[in-house]
Amino acid sequence: MKKALILLGCPESPSQTPMAVYVTYRLKNMGYEVTTASTPSAMKLLEVGDPEGHYIEKKIDIDSCIDKLESGSYDLLVGFIHKDAAASYFVTFYSILNTTSIAIIFEKDPEKLEEFENIVSESTDANIVSARAYHNPTPLRVRFDKMIKKLGVTNKL
Amino acid sequence: MFCLETYLQESEDYDILISRAGFKDCARVIEENAPEIIYVNAGEKILGARIIGIPPVPIGINEEKSTILFPYTKPCYGTAVVEIPVPQEEIVKIRDLNIKGC
Repeated sequence: MKKALILLGCPESPSQTPMAVYVTYRLKNMGYEVTTASTPSAMKLLEVGDPEGHYIEKKIDIDSCIDKLESGSYDLLVGFIHKDAAASYFVTFYSILNTTSIAIIFEKDPEKLEEFENIVSESTDANIVSARAYHNPTPLRVRFDKMIKKLGVTNKL
Repeated sequence: MFCLETYLQESEDYDILISRAGFKDCARVIEENAPEIIYVNAGEKILGARIIGIPPVPIGINEEKSTILFPYTKPCYGTAVVEIPVPQEEIVKIRDLNIKGC
């Protein structure tokens, strides 16, 4: 079974938690075993929203898991980026895993959004899904679906 | 294995040069405050722990004080620059990780 790692950032942006559940749902339907790496606070939000673990099954702490990561540990990395620190974490996980990657970048401030896009595009070959988003996850969901379709057509997933 | 979080809680022998900042600002602080700079890949292990950052990640070395300066990132708090004392052999190991020409 193919393995995907979803990397969550600080949970203060409302779009992150529902999008994390949605991305997990999509990837599981595509046959991936999905692991979610996050802070304890981001994980608590997911656990309250998915109490029986229908979607979020495999969970790991973002800081303690990184020491055990190796190149090839996962077939797909999906990272949520809405802060400078999240960009640093994504680029670091990308560098270690060396695998197909999708960066989901969202911010309500267009200058910050562009800054995060630049950081990711200059430091990685990740596929970028980006949108001005804060409360409303729909633009991200639509663009993520398009990206999944595009990568599926080119056999990258 | 060395754990920076535990070290910062239990020791007073460290300096925080900047905190709650962006990675680029922290990289600049390291470059401006260390006599010697080594650049490493993101995810490289320093003191046994992986470094979070945007490559090339600067690690400052002050051989006279036997300290290193490095970025320390937490998801909700941004990046800080920490200066801590290290054994000489650790400085040698860090120099071996350099990805830029001397």
